[in-house]
Amino acid sequence: MKMAWKEIKKSKAKFIILGSIVFLVSLLTFIISGLANGLSMDNAALIKDMPAGQFYMDENAKETYNLSKIDEDTEKHVHKEYPDAAAFSIQMGFVVDGNDDQHSVSFVTSTESDLFENVNDGEIILDRSMQEDGIQVGDKLTNNQYSGEFTVKGFVDQKKYSHTPVAFISMDNYKEMYRTNHMQLLFIPGQDKAETINGLEAFSNTAFLDTIPSYSAEQMSLNMIIWFLVIISGMLFAIFFYMMNVQKIGLYGILKAIGVKTRTLFGMMWSQMLLITAIALVLSVSFSHLFNRVAPDGMPFDLGLETTLQLSGLFIVIGFIGATLSGIQIKRVEPLQAIQQGEM
Amino acid sequence: MTAFTVENVKKTFTNGEIEEQVLNGVNLALKEGEITALVGASGSGKSTLLTIAAGLQHASAGQVMFQGKNLTNMKQEEIRKVRAQDFGFVFQASHLVPFLTVEEQLLLMLDVSEKRMHKQEKKKRITSMLQLVEMEHRKDAYPSSLSGGEKQRVAIARAIIHEPKLLFADEPTASLDSKRSQDVMELIRELTKTLHITTLMVTHDEEMLPYADRIITMKDGLIV
Ligand SMILES: Nc1ncnc2c1ncn2[C@@H]1O[C@H](COP(=O)(O)OP(=O)(O)OP(=O)(O)O)[C@@H](O)[C@H]1O
Ligand SMILES: [Mg+2]
Repeated sequence: MKMAWKEIKKSKAKFIILGSIVFLVSLLTFIISGLANGLSMDNAALIKDMPAGQFYMDENAKETYNLSKIDEDTEKHVHKEYPDAAAFSIQMGFVVDGNDDQHSVSFVTSTESDLFENVNDGEIILDRSMQEDGIQVGDKLTNNQYSGEFTVKGFVDQKKYSHTPVAFISMDNYKEMYRTNHMQLLFIPGQDKAETINGLEAFSNTAFLDTIPSYSAEQMSLNMIIWFLVIISGMLFAIFFYMMNVQKIGLYGILKAIGVKTRTLFGMMWSQMLLITAIALVLSVSFSHLFNRVAPDGMPFDLGLETTLQLSGLFIVIGFIGATLSGIQIKRVEPLQAIQQGEM
Repeated sequence: MTAFTVENVKKTFTNGEIEEQVLNGVNLALKEGEITALVGASGSGKSTLLTIAAGLQHASAGQVMFQGKNLTNMKQEEIRKVRAQDFGFVFQASHLVPFLTVEEQLLLMLDVSEKRMHKQEKKKRITSMLQLVEMEHRKDAYPSSLSGGEKQRVAIARAIIHEPKLLFADEPTASLDSKRSQDVMELIRELTKTLHITTLMVTHDEEMLPYADRIITMKDGLIV
């Protein structure tokens, strides 16, 4: 007999309240996680979308790629050993369009590589978001550090860095604009163990992301909020079931007296917890994915199904732990207690 | 024939430094199918004896023998099984499950006792039991909508639906008025006689004594 369900039906209000709190907390968690992911893509899609490998920068650069210079001999040497390695540089800057409007961009240039867009001198390839700003293929863009004009050759999807669209330019143009003959970084794709290369320090993809100061600060605070919400939801379950169980001590006692197994009582609590959580999660997952679709353009929001499923699993595990911890009282109840307590 | 014996049972409660001997070596033999009434002054140890006999608490010494086994040295799970299958309980308060209907209370007890029965059989037995306690018309009611006497009748039905060998009742009529008490006692007597159930009942009420086959008086933790 489904006692768990019978109880939910009889005390609807209590369970609806619990369910809606779980729904709100998990929805908030999903939205913040979508925001965290959206911001991280907005901040570093250029790097995040690179395949796994190793990044190298000058060991004297204090883990700041901006200060790094890869000398040409090392670069050539690495290229010989790893033909698909790429040297590249990133610099913040801006371009001015025909209407004299300025647009912030991250200039990126690299040696010949499949991982980056390679353009000819005087050409520029931009992130798709620039198209929404009204720039079109064939438009001429200028920059006061560059003597010539850039011709827009095309757009690429989701290439962002430091919350600005990426602008791919040629090495020679880059060298002219930033008065340097060196690239800042070396990337060797497919390498899972760093190699000791003279004078260079290696970083894995995630380690390199963490060297971007705004990136790690942003992600750390958002992740902290997510963890807090997950922990709060666990505590919610623990507190809710604790209060429910305290109210039901007498009932548990009498059920134990007539021979109901302690396991059955736990099973009852677990199935209630699972049912409530499952309904709340189905609702909050649907709502958050709906939000994913209608999120305003200006709001970087990117929520994958995988992330929501992982977080949902986490909620269920945490809810289970919370309920079980508070359920320890069930184990302690003596059948006699209830009988001596009188009418419930 | 003897269905159940309590042999030299002692019970001591320790409250801090103070030790209180509540049962001082009680001997008791219940005859099959009989109703034994346990009477005595308040605090004489009646409830303590009943709950020890029913496997709801441990004795400090002595034996409780049922079907050749000693309840006092059984494992928790074994005792639970005996309570679920062979014992029935009625207490002063009805202790019904608030979120189950009258019918479901009985179904729960059948499930707990792990009776191997078909759904149809269970339904049939529940219906006839509810007829016996005259509660069939309220089978879909929740306990909160029943009167005290009705609740107690459902509690009695729950206590014997699984046809236990023994029925333990601690002041089953204490919360009822005189008329209702008589009805409930008559019901208990009728049911236990038909189903051949052995009954141990604690009572304060002298009016209930005529329903018993045997009356045992307790004083200061001893049977006199
Ligand atoms: N759990 C306990 N801890 C300590 N003392 C207890 C406990 N249970 C019962 N006692 C004591 O044991 C004595 C007998 O209690 P018991 O409940 O068996 O009496 P009783 O005969 O049923 O009384 P009444 O007729 O009032 O129900 C009392 O003095 C009581 O205080
Ligand atoms: Mg008593």
